[in-house]
Order: sequence, then C-alpha cells, then structure tokens
Amino acid sequence: MKHTLKDYRIGCLLSALIAMLVLFIYPSKQQKMPTYNYTFIIDITRSMNATDYQQDNQAVSRLNFVKQTLRELLQKLPCESKVGLGLFTERRSTLLFEPLEVCSAYTEIDTAISKIDWRMAWAADSNIAKGLLSTLEMLQKSDSSVIFITDGQEAPPVNPNYQADFSTVKSQAKGMIIGVGGLQAVPIPKFDSQGKQTGFYAQDDVPHRSSFGQSNLDPSQIKGYNARNAPFGSEAATGNEHLTALHETYLKKLGAESSLSYARLTDLQNLSRALQNPKLATAKVVQADIRRQPALLALLLLSLVYLPKAYKFRRFFAKECR
Amino acid sequence: MNLAVNTPWALTGLLLTLLPLFNSGMRSSPAPWSALIPADTLSVFIVCCLRLCAMAAIAGLVLGIAGLHRTEQSRERIGHGAHIVLLLDRSSSMDNTFAGRAPNGSDESKATAARRLLTVFVEQRQTDLIGVAAYSTSPLFVMPLTENKNAVQAAIAATATPALGFTHVSKGLGMAISFFEQQPVTGSRIVLLVSDGAAAIDHDSEQKLRLWFKQQQVRLYWIFLRTAGSPGIFDQPEDSRDDNAQAMPELYLHKFFLGLGSPYQAYEAESPDALKQAIADINRLENLPMHYVERIPKQDLSAACYSVAAFLLLVLLGVKFFEVKR
Repeated sequence: MKHTLKDYRIGCLLSALIAMLVLFIYPSKQQKMPTYNYTFIIDITRSMNATDYQQDNQAVSRLNFVKQTLRELLQKLPCESKVGLGLFTERRSTLLFEPLEVCSAYTEIDTAISKIDWRMAWAADSNIAKGLLSTLEMLQKSDSSVIFITDGQEAPPVNPNYQADFSTVKSQAKGMIIGVGGLQAVPIPKFDSQGKQTGFYAQDDVPHRSSFGQSNLDPSQIKGYNARNAPFGSEAATGNEHLTALHETYLKKLGAESSLSYARLTDLQNLSRALQNPKLATAKVVQADIRRQPALLALLLLSLVYLPKAYKFRRFFAKECR
Repeated sequence: MNLAVNTPWALTGLLLTLLPLFNSGMRSSPAPWSALIPADTLSVFIVCCLRLCAMAAIAGLVLGIAGLHRTEQSRERIGHGAHIVLLLDRSSSMDNTFAGRAPNGSDESKATAARRLLTVFVEQRQTDLIGVAAYSTSPLFVMPLTENKNAVQAAIAATATPALGFTHVSKGLGMAISFFEQQPVTGSRIVLLVSDGAAAIDHDSEQKLRLWFKQQQVRLYWIFLRTAGSPGIFDQPEDSRDDNAQAMPELYLHKFFLGLGSPYQAYEAESPDALKQAIADINRLENLPMHYVERIPKQDLSAACYSVAAFLLLVLLGVKFFEVKR
C-alpha cells in the first residue's frame, strides 16, 4: 500500500477524481450580470428619411441606419435583457410591443425592427418635446428605460412660449435620448403616394414657424402686428426648416429637463457603449457555469499521468543518431 | 445529430488524447531483459483497453470544456391549427366603452375587452402561428407570424397604451395579408379583424384586396365591436339617400367582404360576452390539419461528457490498485 501511494500517478488520478466530484457538486455559481430593459422609441417623421449616414460606401437614410444599428445591437445584448419597441411621430408615440426577452424572441424583435417604415406614421407633424413627454408619461409605470431615438427636427418649430413641462415625470424618468443625423444640414426627400421619391422638400413646402397662440417676440418688434388678426405679424416667415440637421443642443436641453442622458448615434460601438450605462442596467443574479475550472484541472492531472517520459525520447533520438 | 461546441478552439485539447499512446501510465518495474518475458495476449489486450479508457477520459473532459451540445432541432409535425393574423384597430374610439363613453369603474373600454379576450384566445391556440398587425390612419407591423406566444401576448398587451388617429381599414388589411407571403400554405389562414368602425375603401384598394385575398387563400373573420347607437354591419339604410359607402361604411365594408369570394364570417359584438362567443366560434371552427414545426431546444451534452470522463477516471484509479507492487 505504501508503494502504491508513493506513485505520483495515483495521486494525480485521485486528485482528478476529486476535481470531478467538486464539478458535480458545484456545477454553477451565482453571479451578478448586468441586464438591460430598453424600450426603443424610434422617430419615424419625414426628416428621418434624410440620407446623411454612410454604410458600405452608400448613403443610407437616418431611419435605415437606426434600424440596422439596432438589429446589430440586438445580437450583442446579454440574454435576460428585454427590448420593447415603439414609434414616435406627431406629438406622441405608440408602443408596438412590450419588452420581450431578447434571446427567446430574437427573430420576432429583429423582424419587427426591420419592418419599421416611415409610412407607419399616423400623422405628419413633429413635436419632439411633447412626444418625449407623452412617452415618458405612458411608460412611467413600466420598469423599462426609454431610449428615444430622434434627430431633433421639429415641424413646425416650437414656439418657446409653449414648451413641454417635464416636472411631473422628471423624478421617475429613466433612459436616454439618442441623437441621429449629421451636423450639416441636408434636404429631406419627398415621396409621392406610391412611395416613390419625387425630389426634396423645398423652402415653400414647409412651415418655418409655428403660428399657434401668441408670439414669443415683443409685439413692437413684429412688423404688421395685430393682437387679434396677426399676432405673428404680416411677414411670411422664412427659414431653413426644409433642410435638416441633428439639433444636438436642443436634444441636450430636453435631456437635461427630463433627466435623461444624451448620446449621438455614430456607429454600433458608440451606441452600445452609451447604452451600457450602469444607470440603465439592473444586476440580475444568474447561474454561471463554472464546471470548466475543475474539468480543466482534472484534464491537466490526467495528462500528467500519461505525459511521455523524457528519457524515452532521448533513447529514441539516440537510436536515430546511431 | 447536429452537434456543436461553444468554444471551438478548445477542441485543440483533443490532441492530448494522443498522450496515452506514448505512455502506458503505469509504473515500469525493472526486469533484466524484457525480451525474456513471454508474450501475453491478455496483458496486451488489457493495456490497450486501459489506454483507450484514458484516451476516452481525456476526450470527454475536452469536449465537456468545449461545451458540446446538440443544436436546436426542428421536427415537422402534423397537428390542428391555423396561421392567424390579428388585425387590431388602434383608432381612438377603441378607448371608449361599448356604450360610447369614456371608461369608468364599472364598464371597460372596447380595447380592454378585446385585449382581455384575445389574451385568452392566444393561450388556447397552442399550435398556431400568430402574428399581429395594427392600424389606425396607417398600418403598423407589430409582430411577425410566430409560435412564440409570449411575443404575441406582449404585442396584445401593448395595445393598452392610448390609441391613435383614425380608421384606415384597407391599408391594415393589406398589411395583414402581406404576413402570409413566403409562408407555406398549410392549415387555414385567417385574418381576424377586430375593429369598432369601418371606413370606405377606395376602388384601387378594393381591387388589390380582392386579388390578394384570392392569391393568399385567406379567410376573414371580422369582429365588429358595435358601440350602442351607431350603425351596425347588418343594418339596412332607412333612407335611400344614405345608401352609400360614406354614410354607412360598416354595411358597405361587410358587402365588400361578402363579395371577396373567400370564406368570410362577421360577428357583431355589442358587449364583451358577444365578443367571447365570436372567439369561441373561431376556436371551434378553425382546426384544420396543419403541418407545423416543433422546435426542440438546444441540449447541453457537456454534463454527459463529464460523467463519462469521471467514470473512466474511477476505472483507471481502481485499476491502479491492481498493479504489481515490488
């Protein structure tokens, strides 16, 4: 018996067996992993059709770029994370489906994102502040973080006198605003009823100011002002509202008012880094598989038993030389 | 079998299985001249077996570490069921009760009633593929045809958010029919339209819809949630001047559906109970034999690998105690 125990091979095999025993007793360990619960609200107003992103050397529209990036992001999210989807246009948003677990419903979420189209818009205005407010109110009770993806282009531009008041939702709001688009102004494509592009919006096609309510300017500064008949004066408004660029300062301001953080969409890495904000993550306890560690140990020990002896090789080479 | 591993590079460890070929793993005992020892077939056999055991144990461990598993399989089966697209009306009026008022404590809104009953309906249809589309002023693609009932429930639950705009039924129907493109024709194909109003369909859309309904062999069920006092599907105009699609869109939509040439059934629900009846009917009628694909989820085989390796280790260790000690 003494001799037996002296043999290192027995020691190795015994330890390997103990390692396997450990493997079967403790196959997994509780581990905290960040998981996410996002509700993506995607702006599908016309300005999102502006093509100022590049993909594979081709100009793609903002909306297509957002869709593509979100689909790629979906593959990167850890299991147990949830993704819901909604659309924004006019002054509000609608929810297509409530957050779904990404691994079990990957195909469904992916297909739904790929089918988003600007023609799903049920109305054609764009008031982002009100849209954001209504979205935050709508999702106030849900524990999902709102990821509001927009280019900040409003049509017509909002009168500063009538701004959305975020004070009611500020305390509970959780999420981000993602700015989409380039900083250079580009024209907005125009489509006919068949969905074919028929050029771009011209200066005369779009309102350049809101004519709702009272003007925010001092009446004495407004040409042709009449409190009842022409509160905005007699001059036609002109501007560059037919061109669109990412309104970053505006979105940052909205973010500050609603206590959401802001990030700009440039590529997948950037978006995924921005969304992995620890504020949006919840640590979920998952059972992590740790069977590898004892198995690796057992493998090493077993290999040690069968490791070829060095002197045998020496003899082998000696034979060759002779 | 379709085996796969999680970490393919770990398979390089399989090279370790060659080790027992070079070393028997046994203590060598000194002998004056090995040629003197007579050949013994049984010994050779046992040594071979032990080496094979060692090789198998190493292979088992390596495959376990690499995460051997059987990939997700699908098996075609024949059952009873249907491909169903739920086409939900999201127009603002759905947020009112059947009496046409804003919901209070006692009466639920039409949308709530529809959501509650559809949730139950989806639960009952286990083998079906169900998709969801919605429409208001424009059609919304919500959920593709899927067997994932959780996804369908999440889409139905999302209709709890406030409704939108107007009723543009023809675009919604077009969207719903498009779900069946590139889907095998098996079982019955159903569009279940749940709406509380109708709209006149223009001539172009009418023709397209006629064609698509025929091409895709879709059956249509229309559950009309009738608000008290509003015109119904089956009402005849009292005044001949009202006998047009603008004045009585419900009646005219019904006439159009009847003329589609594909099976069509209309239900007029004036209360949640009537809605329940309509859903029960569909549940009973639409159970044609259907090919469907059953998914067998990915199976982890590493546990089996580890067990085999552990057993072989035990054998090897046991055999050690039978070695000649000198």
